[in-house]
Amino acid sequence: MPISVREASGKMSNSYHFPVLPGPDSKLVTIEVDGAEVQVPEGTNLIEALETVGIDTPHFCYHPDLPLAGNCRQCMIETDGPRGMGLAIACYTPVRAGMKVATDRSSEKVKKARAAVMEFQLANHPLDCPICDKAGECTLQENYMKAGNGHSRMREEIGKAYHGNPAHRTVDSKGQSRGGKHVDLGPNVILDEERCILCDRCTRFMRDVAGSEQLYIADRGDRAYISVFPGTQLDHPYDLCVTDVCPVGALTSKHFRFLQRVWFLKKTESIAADDSLGANLTIEHNEGKVWRLMPRRNAAVNKSWISNATRLSFRDLETGRLERGRTDGHDVSLEDAFAKAGQILSKARKVALVASGHLTNEDNAALLALAESLGEKAEVFGGSWLPVGTPDGISRSGDPVANRKGLEILGIPDNLDDLVRRASEFDVLVVAHNDLWGAAPEKARGLEAIAQRIVLSPWVNATVERATLSIGIRAWAEVRGTMVNCQGRIQLLQAAPIAPDERLEPAWQLLSRLSGERWSSEIDAWKSCQARVPALAALSYRTIGRSGQLLEVA
Amino acid sequence: MSQFPKILTGKFGKGAADIGVYKSLGGYSTIGSKLFGLSQFEVIDIVQRSGLRGRGGAGFPTGMKWSFVPRNTGKPVYLVVNADEGEPGTFKDHFLLLENPHQLIEGMILCGWALGVRTAYIYVRGEFLDCIESLNKAIAEAYEAGLLGENIGGSGYSLDIYVHRGAGAYICGEETALISSLEGRKGQPRLKPPFPAVSGAWASPTCVNNVETLMAVPWIFENGPEAYAKIGTQKSPGTKVFSVSGDVKRPGVYEAPLGTPMIELLEGEDYCQGIVGELKGCIPGGSSTPVLNPEETRSVTLDYEAMAAAGTMLGSGAIIPFNTERSLVGMLKTLTHFYAHESCGQCTPCRDGTGYADRLLTTMCSGHAREGDVDFLTDLANNFVGTTICPLAAADSAPILSYVKKFRSEFEALAAKNPERAAPRLDAHFRPGGFW
Repeated sequence: MPISVREASGKMSNSYHFPVLPGPDSKLVTIEVDGAEVQVPEGTNLIEALETVGIDTPHFCYHPDLPLAGNCRQCMIETDGPRGMGLAIACYTPVRAGMKVATDRSSEKVKKARAAVMEFQLANHPLDCPICDKAGECTLQENYMKAGNGHSRMREEIGKAYHGNPAHRTVDSKGQSRGGKHVDLGPNVILDEERCILCDRCTRFMRDVAGSEQLYIADRGDRAYISVFPGTQLDHPYDLCVTDVCPVGALTSKHFRFLQRVWFLKKTESIAADDSLGANLTIEHNEGKVWRLMPRRNAAVNKSWISNATRLSFRDLETGRLERGRTDGHDVSLEDAFAKAGQILSKARKVALVASGHLTNEDNAALLALAESLGEKAEVFGGSWLPVGTPDGISRSGDPVANRKGLEILGIPDNLDDLVRRASEFDVLVVAHNDLWGAAPEKARGLEAIAQRIVLSPWVNATVERATLSIGIRAWAEVRGTMVNCQGRIQLLQAAPIAPDERLEPAWQLLSRLSGERWSSEIDAWKSCQARVPALAALSYRTIGRSGQLLEVA
Repeated sequence: MSQFPKILTGKFGKGAADIGVYKSLGGYSTIGSKLFGLSQFEVIDIVQRSGLRGRGGAGFPTGMKWSFVPRNTGKPVYLVVNADEGEPGTFKDHFLLLENPHQLIEGMILCGWALGVRTAYIYVRGEFLDCIESLNKAIAEAYEAGLLGENIGGSGYSLDIYVHRGAGAYICGEETALISSLEGRKGQPRLKPPFPAVSGAWASPTCVNNVETLMAVPWIFENGPEAYAKIGTQKSPGTKVFSVSGDVKRPGVYEAPLGTPMIELLEGEDYCQGIVGELKGCIPGGSSTPVLNPEETRSVTLDYEAMAAAGTMLGSGAIIPFNTERSLVGMLKTLTHFYAHESCGQCTPCRDGTGYADRLLTTMCSGHAREGDVDFLTDLANNFVGTTICPLAAADSAPILSYVKKFRSEFEALAAKNPERAAPRLDAHFRPGGFW
């Protein structure tokens, strides 16, 4: 996946370059940290190298997927230079063989320098935590607990002061100068200027990753503040990523602020199911409801970014769901719908089964197993009529069929047009989560020649409307399974306990019950995938892990 | 007073801003076969042998700086003249550019030949409109005389000079911030390495020199490096232009050999002719250098080594003596306000540290000084020095620390005047080692 923006910005000036991160083939060298010898990857930035040996360095401005800025000065360490041991910032110091490093564990000087930076950082930072959305996941809070003084020696007459945008300055009831609250930057993001610690991450994201310099830092000194250019707004398809990189509560999302305290949120690690890159993300939910989707770092896939479209796709999980069965224009219970489907299949003369790239490999394996149980009278079709876009170079491939590659490795052909041509041969059609009528109504009209149309779908859509029998199933955030992204990387989806009705079944379960196999968990379905695809034989959910595995066949 | 050639100010008051006058006074005599017959390395060698040191403040040997610029990288080499004279108390470059712009252009041609420069920039402080006018006029005259542009003097060497007007930021006197500003970015210092000599303007090798440094080069060529090395002291050769302001009878711009006793500059007949009132102390090299008390002022000589031995710096040569009527705390408040105002806002310690020191000093001066404030102030100053990208925070911390060290009683007297000086501090209730 080409990241063209990154290369372009590197040519303009020497001032911004990306950190060197440890990779699987980095050469290890020995350095001395706090008097002990450790092996770390050569040439990487020290802050990352220390991380590999379990030493955590507090920082604000450093981000592995953004160019280095070195301006927060929190990651101070001591290292040996031409003039002996001296303070340096760990994010900008490259690892050299034999270098000596002292962290806060052995150096009082480092400890004092970090505490001093914390003190300066908080000199004008408001004590907003009780009303701040970032509280609980705030880097400033975390670093203060690690490196702060534990008490304040600031003078009460001096107080805190907001010197930023003159148009936003006010004086509060205690006579302190405050301001910059609730500045509307655009359709998605709200800025709180007085909470900003000017780490520059958001402006670097917009300039060097998003490639659209919509944010900048105006003015200088302690009067500096983040702003959009006059007459413009922050409205980039990735602008919500600035709320992730913001280490404090300065940039918050209009779609999340004031809705939940972050410590109530449970986290389920999954991937995006709306695009074939399969951006890694975390489903954050509480009491059966998803409150937000957050990007999950995967250096090989989406780095630390997800698009606004992916991020806001959680809203679909609770709207327009097909929670029951539906036949002849009226609702039936899921069990009745299932029983009816069994009767239709048992009486069928010839069945066309349509697999889907929106389903997991496990679901599609169950579909194949159903086809096998039906024997000669069943035929499997696959593919999608949805238009394919172009990659944006950040976290989307442009192909909305998330598991297209998965269909390929299971040997399911892309032959929907064949199905339309041969529609008259079939008397039963089974469509598993594939919105054929929504994607191409003219083509799909040909399928109406098939008398019995059974549709499995998490949502009510055009295909459900045209079905003679439809059955609700679980959506992507509610199932466990695997998908293969456009790079050929098999990745894991995990089930968050958020299904609108707990009687809804995952597609593989419904299909395996129809086939009479009665698989007891998705592991059975996974074993069926492994039996079909030799490349999967050596893998398990555990070895696929958080960041997926590149498949050799794909 | 010993006799010495006035290398930099000798042409003052003679109308040398005009190219005809400048040439009649012996200017541009080096540009010709005398220069173009020499190889680039020979030119650098001459500068190195003269012992010339950068006049911008740090005193780095100029020849060595030139030798660091890499060749054959496939990228152009830029020469940038730092005329963003912003250090409070310094006004020498202003007069040098106004009175003698051609000598700078001559120095730039010499340096340009030595480094293989095709394009050179003069970054002039935005407020110096008169300097920009005189420079533009001088450059136009030099183009007309065939001293700039394509194929100078038939040698095949070409050089273009552009004047770039700054937008009024002190920090743009720092070379990497200057380069950022020249590129059209926000004037903020960059992380080093890479140093500008390797990767400066537009990521190309860049040599940044002060106005005064380059203006000394034509004289060195004309009279030989040995003649230059004989002036001044052994380690700090040559003359330097000093800007003297403050409590002296005749403030102004004076050229003196390095190694001249400071007291001679302040009281000598040829120079400032004496202190007004009783001497209390002296800022020796611009507002960011540690202050000297009267004894040190009388004993120190004006060269890099003696200044370092006295715990201060020669800096840009801005000497500000002050008498016993001046309030040290008031001076420090003004200076700290200046640095807080000029902080670029990048690094946390400088951005919030200088700002807090400024507000603390303002509170102290407005009758709210308390016991312990002086220690708090010095601790703040110690905390923001040496932890930032550029030395601006250090430039504020040096005066704070030296003023408090040498004139502590004045700071403590402020607290004595406040009846509520011992009011409980917030952290009196704090249990050290407790969770909060």
